[in-house]
Amino acid sequence: MNRVRAVLAALAMLALPALPAAAAPLERAALAADLCGDAAAQARGAEGVVRAAADASAEDLRAAGHLLAALAERRLACGSAGALLLDRAGAPDGQDALTGATRPAAEARAPVLGLRQRALVETARAAVALLTAESVAARAAGLTTLERRAGAVPDAVLERARDAESDPGLRASIAGAAQAAALSSADPEKRRTAVAAVAAAPSGASLARLRALRGEPAAASDPAFARALDAGIASVERAVRIGDGLAILYNALSFASILFMAAVGLAIIFGLMGVINLAQGEFIMLGAYATWGVQEAFRHVAPGLLDLYLIAAIPVAFGATALVGIAVEALVLRHLYRRPLMSLLATWAVSLFLVNLVRVAVGTQNLQFAMPPYVSGGVPLYADFVVTWNRLFAILFAAATLALTLVVLRRTPLGLDIRAVTQNRDMAACLGLPTRRIDRLAFGLGSGLAGLAGVALCPIYSVNPGMGSGFVIDAFMVVVLGGVGSLAGTLVAALGIGGANVLIEPLSGAVAAKVIVLVGIILFLQRRPEGLFAARRRR
Amino acid sequence: MSGAVQTGLAASARVRRAPRDPLIAVLVGLCLAAAIGLVLGRPAPYLVNAVGQLAAFAILAVSLDLIWGYLGILSLGHGLFFAIGGYVCAMHLLAHGTVVTGTLPDFVQFMSWKGLPAYWAGLEHAPYALLLALGLAGLVAFLFGLVAFRSRVNGVYFSIISQALVYVAMLLMYRNDTGLGGNNGMTGFPLLFGWPMGSAGAVTGLAVAALLALAAVLAGTRLLVGSALGRRMLACRDDETRLRTLGYATTRLKLQVWCLSAMIAALAGILYVPQVGIINPRVLAPDLSIEIAVWVAIGGMGRLGGAVIGAVLVNALKFWLSAAMPEAWPFLLSGLVLLVVLVLPNGLLDLAGLRLRPTWARGAR
Amino acid sequence: MSALVVDGLTVAFGRFRALDALSLAVDPGEVRAVIGPNGAGKTTLLDVISGITKPVSGRVMLGDRLDLTRISEAAIARAGVRRKFQKPSVFPALTVRENLAIGCGPELAPGLRAERIAAVLGEVGLNPRAAVPAGALAHGEKQWLEIGMVLAAEPRLLLLDEPVAGLSDAETRRTAELIGRLRRPDRAILVIEHDMGFVEAIADKVTVLHEGRTLYEGGMRGAREDARVIEVFLGR
Repeated sequence: MNRVRAVLAALAMLALPALPAAAAPLERAALAADLCGDAAAQARGAEGVVRAAADASAEDLRAAGHLLAALAERRLACGSAGALLLDRAGAPDGQDALTGATRPAAEARAPVLGLRQRALVETARAAVALLTAESVAARAAGLTTLERRAGAVPDAVLERARDAESDPGLRASIAGAAQAAALSSADPEKRRTAVAAVAAAPSGASLARLRALRGEPAAASDPAFARALDAGIASVERAVRIGDGLAILYNALSFASILFMAAVGLAIIFGLMGVINLAQGEFIMLGAYATWGVQEAFRHVAPGLLDLYLIAAIPVAFGATALVGIAVEALVLRHLYRRPLMSLLATWAVSLFLVNLVRVAVGTQNLQFAMPPYVSGGVPLYADFVVTWNRLFAILFAAATLALTLVVLRRTPLGLDIRAVTQNRDMAACLGLPTRRIDRLAFGLGSGLAGLAGVALCPIYSVNPGMGSGFVIDAFMVVVLGGVGSLAGTLVAALGIGGANVLIEPLSGAVAAKVIVLVGIILFLQRRPEGLFAARRRR
Repeated sequence: MSGAVQTGLAASARVRRAPRDPLIAVLVGLCLAAAIGLVLGRPAPYLVNAVGQLAAFAILAVSLDLIWGYLGILSLGHGLFFAIGGYVCAMHLLAHGTVVTGTLPDFVQFMSWKGLPAYWAGLEHAPYALLLALGLAGLVAFLFGLVAFRSRVNGVYFSIISQALVYVAMLLMYRNDTGLGGNNGMTGFPLLFGWPMGSAGAVTGLAVAALLALAAVLAGTRLLVGSALGRRMLACRDDETRLRTLGYATTRLKLQVWCLSAMIAALAGILYVPQVGIINPRVLAPDLSIEIAVWVAIGGMGRLGGAVIGAVLVNALKFWLSAAMPEAWPFLLSGLVLLVVLVLPNGLLDLAGLRLRPTWARGAR
Repeated sequence: MSALVVDGLTVAFGRFRALDALSLAVDPGEVRAVIGPNGAGKTTLLDVISGITKPVSGRVMLGDRLDLTRISEAAIARAGVRRKFQKPSVFPALTVRENLAIGCGPELAPGLRAERIAAVLGEVGLNPRAAVPAGALAHGEKQWLEIGMVLAAEPRLLLLDEPVAGLSDAETRRTAELIGRLRRPDRAILVIEHDMGFVEAIADKVTVLHEGRTLYEGGMRGAREDARVIEVFLGR
């Protein structure tokens, strides 16, 4: 019998928030007494704060916030003379909750919060914080907590907060939350408009919210609402699918951009000299470290201009890696043009050396980068599809790299020389071209391009000495697929492989994506082996 | 004319009888002597174990030199075949242990499976496991080689694509649902043919087996490269198109030697895993496969003895330095590679004055 | 029956047509010279016949039955076609004798090989150098060794790509004599050469190629008098 009564009481309590919010004034004395009372009283007090939050004065809310905070942090002492607020748990004396006078807390006890009551108190504190907190961050944190308990918050509270909010971003978020709260509103008309409003701004979160509603009694008892809900869910589902598709395409494009930047230098060097630079990934790493160096220099010399470091790093990273590349060419590869397989081992040794040099000199930890505004955050475009600035930066960077490479190869004397030697080394040598010098400069160019890839990676990847290890294989696949000595081929192949990787990944996992791409390339070689040999052998 | 024929025959007989590579005989003798020494002298187990591991690495190096030095195909994915041997060997040891002791391997319990996966059936029998390891390595090599050689994938292309192969295999083995231990790999082998794994008898037995296998592999590959097939391999290495236009199916030739090389590498893996007591996907790391080529290059590519010397020297140095000065090892290794590649194109054998054939006779790679 | 029929052969590298619907026929026992300026497609023609390059269209029939454009280089060689490359292509790591043994081809029974090798060694005059690695030979010796390698298989169609390029006058004369001795009723020989005197000495007929097409076909004397040939080739 007792149990039945308890269940009924619990049901009654659950039903409370669904009642129309009574404009109950916020009585501090009653609240203090409730919070000092038993579990049911504490729950009543916390819920009372939430209900009153739409109308109560800011001052009352702040006072209620102090009481709730004290309760949650065990700084509330309850004695026969009324509630005391302590500075810290267990302090010998504190301020009276109503008068503010200091009193000893000798015979007072600190009430303990149950799990359910704690959730209610937190909701109430969040409501108070949303309405009265000084900082935007604290108000945003309050909103985050309230969104998790959407059903327990009267829409009027959120509407009040929305109207009072000064920060435009947070204001939009509150408006969204208010809409969500309206979904559970007691007024059927309001509920239906809320469904339509949520469906108009589709996202994965709104879809989950609508789907959750379908199981609630309101949907079962109100056929009009159920119809509106189903239509809303269908349209949100469609939009979310389109948004996810766009997001995948965007990711594919950004991945392809990285691949292209990693591959383009390799393609130029391989086309010209038949040498695969296994240290290309480490050149990318060096580019990222050069970027970090530029950032540190800005921090010390011109902290005000720190946001510009990524831009300033572009020429530095290019120059630094190009110099390292030229040094490697002059010291090592120059001797190995007739022995391409040995040049593989030599460049591997270079990569081993570079990784360990950086490891010893800088350390193995991930580098910390300041994120300037142009590479942090993003703009939500459609449903869950957010155009993130860091990836857009990489895409635009790759496009600029492509343009730069095209200009160098097509419009400069060096580019003409490189193309000539790529197509017929002996003939170019006969015509008096200094093929050795061209090799060196081209190697510098290819290395510098890898350095640029390093700059573009800084806002996206974690930068550490081992970051370059995976790049060479993927980049070489791009070169193979694209055909040697063809910039357009490199671009198309990077898009193809990047796209395939990103498209296959959600269906069957990252490993399967790699396997499928490799098998695809090998099959491609079966069908078009001549695609491999841009320059045919003549005897 | 008949006189010419006779001198010709005599000359060719002399060429065949003359030991072109006394180094091989010396190394085979050393292997046998070391095996006897281990059995009779009973040195400290860690030393026995180190010798056994070095012998396994030497076999791996010979397998790579066979196709790189003599056929001009640089595989940067030979770790794959080594790993196939190693994994099948580990499966055998665990299956054997499960049958004898009745307890399931740790990783099976970790995945909370009821028993060993179905495809482990029969692996407790050593001959079947050996056959499976060599057969699987040969099959994988055959399929990959068939596709690659038919498409005339050569030189640097082949090297990088073989590297991609081992890289993908590594990613595959890192998954926990393969039934092969996932990223922790397989370890805790209890028994070897019924002996406790760590016992002096098992350690010595494994080391001796590795030494004898190395001797056999050296002798066998030496016979191979000295045969008519071996001369065709050199011809193919130096001018494949030329050999093809003389009527030889070079794809088949390359495929045969490639599969043989893969199976020798698998043998090395079979001998290696019980000696270290663990296998995990890190043996499939691309860097490790490149290191095999580094051993061969340092020792002297195109000389089977050079491969053995390179593998033993580099790994002995690595054993010692990784304990003494772990920071210095990568710098030393990269320096050694650059030194050999730039200054000693035929490896340390150049340094030792062991150039038995002039440089041009080994092809310009 | 013809020994070799080239029919409507077109080879393209990208947009460039190295051979443009080329046709020619060589009779058994004939020595045919193919001449033409650089880039006329002479070496490409040999590449197609020996299977190194596959054409866009057209056929190459050996003995009226076997289409060489459909089979591999090795199969073409086993059908009796041998080619001497312009740049002497021998195996430097093998001795002269081992080179010739490989030249015999994979199908010759091992018992017959020694005799064949000895005969060829005598023919090309490399007997004293038999045990020397080919990489150590002089340029002229390499040319002779390669000729020996292609002869060792007793080919029915012999392709010679500039066999006297870089040889002295005496060596050129010896090569001309050798080709004379190589004539057999069942063997056709196709020679590409720049040296007009040499061509006149050995060839029954010449084919003049220009930009991938036949400009002239007939006797050498006729070629010297043909106005178009003079314009594009001889008259330079």
